[in-house]
Amino acid sequence: MDIATLAGIIAGISFIVAGIMMSGDLGNFYDAPSIMITLGGTLAATLISYPIKNIIGIFRVTKNLFFTKAKDPNGIIRQIIELANIARKEGLLALEEAAYKLEDPFMQKGILLIVDGTDPELVRNIMETELTFMEERHSQGQAVFETMASLAPAFGMIGTLIGLINMLKKLDDPSSVGPNMAVALVTTFYGSILANLFFTPMANKLKHRSAQEMLYKEIMLEGILSIQAGENPRIIEEKLKAFLSPQEREALHHNSTAGEE
Amino acid sequence: MIKVTRLNGEEFYINPDLIQYIEKTPNTVITLTNDKKVVVKEEVEEVIERIVAFKRQIFCSFQRNDGLAGE
Repeated sequence: MDIATLAGIIAGISFIVAGIMMSGDLGNFYDAPSIMITLGGTLAATLISYPIKNIIGIFRVTKNLFFTKAKDPNGIIRQIIELANIARKEGLLALEEAAYKLEDPFMQKGILLIVDGTDPELVRNIMETELTFMEERHSQGQAVFETMASLAPAFGMIGTLIGLINMLKKLDDPSSVGPNMAVALVTTFYGSILANLFFTPMANKLKHRSAQEMLYKEIMLEGILSIQAGENPRIIEEKLKAFLSPQEREALHHNSTAGEE
Repeated sequence: MIKVTRLNGEEFYINPDLIQYIEKTPNTVITLTNDKKVVVKEEVEEVIERIVAFKRQIFCSFQRNDGLAGE
């Protein structure tokens, strides 16, 4: 569960609503045709931009924004060290059993490859290809959100144009100009909110998630190759720690000493 | 060339002149001079024996040829 996404959305909406209420009336900002033009238009244009498969994929991706639990890089490193210890004591073939207990399919695949005696060069190749395509897949989800972010303000603008045109057609009553103008501008407001509070931040979070996952998988890949080369578990630990920030390294140290006690 | 076996049982031949070092990790890891690593089933001693046998084979045939040329 990612609290930050939910907290951000709730906080964003409440701050805006509070801001509106302090200086005006919330009712002014509700206009059904405007919602139709901005939200409907954005969704329709997204449908035109992407194949249907990507659009459906977006729902799963959106779910991930809220419910993915962040993986702990220290946990991954500890797991690798554990596997390295098994390999040092009982040989690579003993890893097969341990591999089936692993949760991460990427790591499992890597371990099974080295158990099969695959050439290290080839293992790196296979795993790196998988990484490249994982990043590619991730960037597709991001791209949909980014497109929506760029389309929403444009549809806000279009909505405003529609409102202005309707207003200018019936300009004979000067007293109606003000309210009509206000309604016209509401679409621009919707477009900006959609782009800046939802779509752009969501794309950013996906990007961050993807980068983090890449880092974890790179740690795994490096670890797996080190295990295959028969490196000392302590050396592997030092090597993998290089991927982490100082704070995270500190946490790893604390946990490993706690585990020994 | 000496015969070695991968962990999956696949046999192949390796050029012993390119071996930089052999480690027991406890799997036998042969590192070649181009930094490539090969994990093999054979024990370290077994690999060394095969290298010696291979070199002996070369040396013997060389001596025989040498003898023939001398005649």
